[in-house]
Amino acid sequence: MKRKCQDYKSRLPDNTAMKQQQLPAFRLQLSANEILSGFFAIGLFCLGMGIILLLSAKSIREVEINYTEKCATCAKLREDATNFDKECNCSISFYLPQKMEGNVYLYYKLYGFYQNLYRYILSRSNIQLVGTDVKDVRNCAPFKTSDNGLPIAPCGAIANSMFNDTIVLLYNFNSSTHIRVPMVRTETAWWTDKYVKFQNPTFQNLSSAFAGTAKPPNWPKPVYELDEKDPGNNGFVNDDFIVWMRTAAFPNFKKLYRRLHRIGNFTEGLPAGSYSFIINYNFPVGRFQGQKAVVLSTLTWSGGSSLFLALAYLVTGAVTLLASFSMMAVHLKLKERKTFFLQ
Amino acid sequence: MFCSRKKSLEVERIVKANDREYNEKFLYKDNRIHTSKYSILTFLPINLFEQFQRVANAYFLFLLILQLIPEISSLTWFTTIVPLVLVVTMTAVKDATDDYFRHKSDNQVNNRQSEVLIDSKLQNEKWMNVKVGDIIKLENNQFVAADLLLLSSSEPHGLCYIETAELDGETNLKVRHALSVTSELGADISRLAKFDGIVVCEAPNNKLDKFTGVLSWNGSKHSLNNEKIILRGCVLRNTSWCFGMVIFAGPDTKLMQNSGKTKFKRTSIDRLMNTLIFGFLICLGTILAIGNSIWENQVGDQFRTFLFSNEREKNSVFSGFLTFWSYIIILNTVVPISLYVSVEVIRLGHSYFINWDRKMYYSRKATPAEARTTTLNEELGQIEYVFSDKTGTLTQNIMTFKKCSINGRIYGEVCDDWGQKTDMTKKKETMGFSVSPQADRTFQFFDHHLMESIELGDPKVHEFLRLLALCHTVMSEENSAGELIYQVQSPDEGALVTAAKNLGFIFKSRTPETITIEELGTLVTYQLLAFLDFNNFRKRMSVIVRNPEGQIKLYSKGADTILFERLHPSNEDLLTLTSDHLSEFAGEGLRTLAIAYRDLDDKYFREWHKMLEDANTTTDERDERIAGLYEEIERDLMLLGATAVEDKLQDGVIETVTSLSLANIKIWVLTGDKQETAINIGYACNMLTDDMNDVFIIAGNTATEVREELRKAKENLFGRNRSFSNGHVVFEKKQSLELDSVVEETVTGDYALIINGHSLAYALESDVKNDLLELACMCKTVVCCRVTPLQKAQVVELVKKYRNAVTLAIGDGANDVSMIKSAHIGVGISGQEGLQAVLASDYSFAQFRYLQRLLLVHGRWSYVRMCKFLCYFFYKNFAFTLVHFWFGFFCGFSAQTVYDQWFITLFNIVYTSLPVLAMGIFDQDVSDQNSMDYPQLYKPGQLNLLFNKSEFFICMAHGVYTSLALFFIPYGAFHNMAGEDGRHTADYQSFAVTTATSLVIVVSVQIALDTSYWTVINHVFIWGSIATYFSILFTMHSNDIFGIFPNQFPFVGNARHSLTQKCIWLVILLTTVASVMPVVAFRFLKVDLFPTLSDQIRQWQKAQKKARPLRTRKPQTRRSSSRRSGYAFAHQEGYGELITSGKNMRAKNPPPMSGLEKTLYNSTSWIENLCKKTTDTVSSFSQDKTVKL
Repeated sequence: MKRKCQDYKSRLPDNTAMKQQQLPAFRLQLSANEILSGFFAIGLFCLGMGIILLLSAKSIREVEINYTEKCATCAKLREDATNFDKECNCSISFYLPQKMEGNVYLYYKLYGFYQNLYRYILSRSNIQLVGTDVKDVRNCAPFKTSDNGLPIAPCGAIANSMFNDTIVLLYNFNSSTHIRVPMVRTETAWWTDKYVKFQNPTFQNLSSAFAGTAKPPNWPKPVYELDEKDPGNNGFVNDDFIVWMRTAAFPNFKKLYRRLHRIGNFTEGLPAGSYSFIINYNFPVGRFQGQKAVVLSTLTWSGGSSLFLALAYLVTGAVTLLASFSMMAVHLKLKERKTFFLQ
Repeated sequence: MFCSRKKSLEVERIVKANDREYNEKFLYKDNRIHTSKYSILTFLPINLFEQFQRVANAYFLFLLILQLIPEISSLTWFTTIVPLVLVVTMTAVKDATDDYFRHKSDNQVNNRQSEVLIDSKLQNEKWMNVKVGDIIKLENNQFVAADLLLLSSSEPHGLCYIETAELDGETNLKVRHALSVTSELGADISRLAKFDGIVVCEAPNNKLDKFTGVLSWNGSKHSLNNEKIILRGCVLRNTSWCFGMVIFAGPDTKLMQNSGKTKFKRTSIDRLMNTLIFGFLICLGTILAIGNSIWENQVGDQFRTFLFSNEREKNSVFSGFLTFWSYIIILNTVVPISLYVSVEVIRLGHSYFINWDRKMYYSRKATPAEARTTTLNEELGQIEYVFSDKTGTLTQNIMTFKKCSINGRIYGEVCDDWGQKTDMTKKKETMGFSVSPQADRTFQFFDHHLMESIELGDPKVHEFLRLLALCHTVMSEENSAGELIYQVQSPDEGALVTAAKNLGFIFKSRTPETITIEELGTLVTYQLLAFLDFNNFRKRMSVIVRNPEGQIKLYSKGADTILFERLHPSNEDLLTLTSDHLSEFAGEGLRTLAIAYRDLDDKYFREWHKMLEDANTTTDERDERIAGLYEEIERDLMLLGATAVEDKLQDGVIETVTSLSLANIKIWVLTGDKQETAINIGYACNMLTDDMNDVFIIAGNTATEVREELRKAKENLFGRNRSFSNGHVVFEKKQSLELDSVVEETVTGDYALIINGHSLAYALESDVKNDLLELACMCKTVVCCRVTPLQKAQVVELVKKYRNAVTLAIGDGANDVSMIKSAHIGVGISGQEGLQAVLASDYSFAQFRYLQRLLLVHGRWSYVRMCKFLCYFFYKNFAFTLVHFWFGFFCGFSAQTVYDQWFITLFNIVYTSLPVLAMGIFDQDVSDQNSMDYPQLYKPGQLNLLFNKSEFFICMAHGVYTSLALFFIPYGAFHNMAGEDGRHTADYQSFAVTTATSLVIVVSVQIALDTSYWTVINHVFIWGSIATYFSILFTMHSNDIFGIFPNQFPFVGNARHSLTQKCIWLVILLTTVASVMPVVAFRFLKVDLFPTLSDQIRQWQKAQKKARPLRTRKPQTRRSSSRRSGYAFAHQEGYGELITSGKNMRAKNPPPMSGLEKTLYNSTSWIENLCKKTTDTVSSFSQDKTVKL
């Protein structure tokens, strides 16, 4: 009998807040005042942010030169793959009306190049690139091995299609003096990429490290000869290579190529005047109807030009404010007749 | 295989007794029953097959296969297989446990013992080994193992009593009797073993009240009917033993044939999801596939030669085809498996809340509510029709003698000091019945005035009680402890006789010719001269007795309307007074009977009796003549008073019914009871009221009659309406267009429909079915009486099929099982004796009144939560997935995902699952008290306003908009972006991180806005999810993990670089604002312009929170009712004859009896005489009875 009583007791559900759905809780019910003031605050914030961004975007100096058309002869030459060993240089002059102050960055920009294709993005071997196994080409289809069966290093479609134009900026001090603008070719890649994600295989010298591998078919030189001047910038840790390997999100993209080395005439940036780009034209874009451009740009507190962001903030702010005014109007109008309800 | 073919061909059954070999030829089923689905061997294949029949599972299996094809795979296989395996395993385990319990209960039933006659010996045999043709012995209070032909019994004439509660819910005893030829076999084993009769009868069917067959034995044929059959599921009562021959066994028995098939119950939300989503997926996939074909044709061709120079040309159409499947894989996250898992988890949570609810715990029986099915909770919030059983569900199945009016004075009402009437049950002390030593302890009747009157010897009071003790069909029996046990055919009579017993007029025993009662301590034996039996038309019964003093008296009780017409004119004053009392009783929902007597003089009676005997012997117009004679003598009655018996409603039934009808839930009562009883209960629980414009009663006995009645009722209904609304042409047109909703609106006023089982059988035929449904649906209340279990199910099916409404059936007995199974939701009343209803049900609790809380609170919350959950979940996944769609236009439709694979895998499982689960489980838009106080809050669920196609499209639009913002704002910003240090950030991986982070933040803000009930858990989950996202993000992008798995985590350093950029955060902020603000504005305006009741209550709640904490509930007002006859014998005709024939009185009583009774019983050999005299009449009578039934 006693046990039975206990049994009965145990069948009675516990009287806990959780089980009785009586947990103390805050009932979220935003009142009109809260919503409206929130809207006003957010609207004003967005508007303010938009104005700040707009002003800073305006302060950026930027020069973009599309050289697809301007180097038509070179482009034609590159149409034919058999001419891969023929050099082709192309010079483009331009005038900088205002000086570009501070750090100046040189980008190359590609239009219509799909670095975001599914199979393209996959076609690389991170194990190879991190230097643990140079011969790991597992995911690199269709550029796994060369014709003679050697594993390609670096393998894959991304590496094979690396941008290989060389761009040199000359400052035309006067009609006869052309000063080559000093550029830094390192520190263009992310720190983690350069020191974690990309590592050369550990060997005495690079060429022996890459022994038994083949260069990608489109490359003129093997990977350990990418930067002949700076041995620390060679092999998989070459900045240009790393930058290329960080695939772009959209078919039109720019990638950092060089940074202005602020010495001599260029301590304060690029002075106004006449300049020219000397481009060693290697990267064919005509075949896929793409375009190439070089970009010179300064930066602001938020990075590069963010005109879109500025405008988007302005529009959002304006719309939010407008909405809050109209909501307030509706609410006030309704307030008078809102005396009904609840018997 | 052969068996099933054989079964379908079976048109008649031939069974030979005691001849297993002969019967084996026919391959009849044996008595083993199977309700389980699997065995150990078949479990895996069958269960997996069943599981993959579900659209969702099959779909995910298909996806998995797609992902294993390298040309198509755009996501790694682990994104699908992990959750799929999880879901399938969980379901399999659940199915296995369910089936285990079914096996257990099957085993328990199959292993019950019964005594079978094998090889001329009685042997104990398990139920499952009983074969057709076997002769088995049943003992008192045993369950019947199979459908039997009754051969003989311990009672004279092969009578036996059975209780059929399991079959039809009626608790009164029924009589079955064997053929006289077989009843002679008695308990003689050797003779029984030689019995070799052949029964030819109908094939197995589910008609409980019909049986036709012929027994051929000893060269003669005997026709068999339902009276000779004992069905499986019955319990033998008051019969020490009986023998029967098995006719139908196991699955062929009428009980099993009546148990509906268990169907997989599925909510409408499931169905909606399947159709909408898959169509949508295919659309998107096709668009992208076409895009891919075009892109491959225009751009990709040239591009391929450059990037993939050593590959041969590909067909762009074929590429498009592959892309279609690739995108199907990517876009499958619109309906991720986690949706199904989450839905199940939420339902499970809601089920636990039901189990845990103390307000649905019945302490008296220690029964908590139980959600036995965990998948139907949200449908509880959408119920439109409730089908309720009566006995045991609405009522307690306890009859109590509550009040009486004797000679113009009411007894049973307690007056307190101020002279106010109070409910007598509230008075604490029970009065002691010193006068009656046999007083029942449970009897509660508190009126000292009545006791005083009895003691003072008020002749009217004595006469009243004497009448109660004499005029009835109750049989008495004394058990071993010497207590009187009454066997009652109708609980009403039981209540009256018990009341008389407790008040000192104890009915002791009866013989066919005498009735012995103990009047205040002295035994008095009355001579029973005539028994004027009850029938439906007469609505009264009378006995004519001669008391020891030699006076002849006629005692009569019956419906007031009938009796009042036959009173002596001198009763006028008393009549008006009693009338008033009756109205009062009726107003309280009590069942009333008027009581009257008449003194007869000897000569008159003798003449009358002679005429009666004459009439009895004539053959033509016998019934009419007898009826005429009854009329003749039952006049000039002297009114004694009236009784009021309460068919005790369960607690809170009236409140529940009122509240549910306020919630627009229609309650239909389906009962096996008599029409009068059912109507009475209808009035008692306020379903029927006198304010109703009309109550249609359909009681026709032929198809044409029923059709006519239905037509008339409809005309009546519409006729009145048309006079109100003068556009009847319009009405007709509308009716043909959208019959349901419009018609209902056009009906003004309250109507009720009462239909009995016979009529229902015709009305359920196809051509009048619609008329019935139309009529029934326009009535506020529908009462179906005398319905069989199958008819209950048919009614439910009818409504389910043609009304497209969510139905709930509630009942307590085995007779409700089929109804419970066929309704969308079945509720069983637990804590009763039988468990069948509970076992078949989806929810069970102990009291009808908990239905209110189950529907209005739990159901409503479940529905609201589930809808909110689904809306949010779809929004979230559309926002999440459609980004891929937009990205497709910028990545050459190459099926490149926007996010990291890990993010895709974890998004639904880890990053966003818990906050929405918490909302789905804990959210409360309004408090439970308010849900109960405002039943109108339930209506949105019935109309399915919170999650339907249009709501789904709104969610979808919301998701699409968010995905647009999520994609195009970063897209615009990334267009010409450079990092703060000049290094580029416009790469794919940064874009992925930016979008993913924005998505997680936007979605979290949205859930924060959607959650209206912020408990600690919600806080933990929402903030925790965001924190988890960032910690996992940084972990996966860390150097160390890249060092270990360079191929799996290529995003190394990304979070660090991207999320330190100011512009990335500006993008995330803008995305959040742009995605959330329009929704907030939209909702604000919606609440402001078109507030729903729930919105209003919430606002009011907020405003009131400071003012006062709780509102007191409005007390329920008691309805006032005009007088109506509460006459209700739950009574069958024919018992009178049984009593006077003495057939149902046993010659020898197994329990020891007091000496007096022994002498009374043994002194006469009346039974033998009577046997000879009445065998013919009785058999004819019983056949009559079956026809009438």
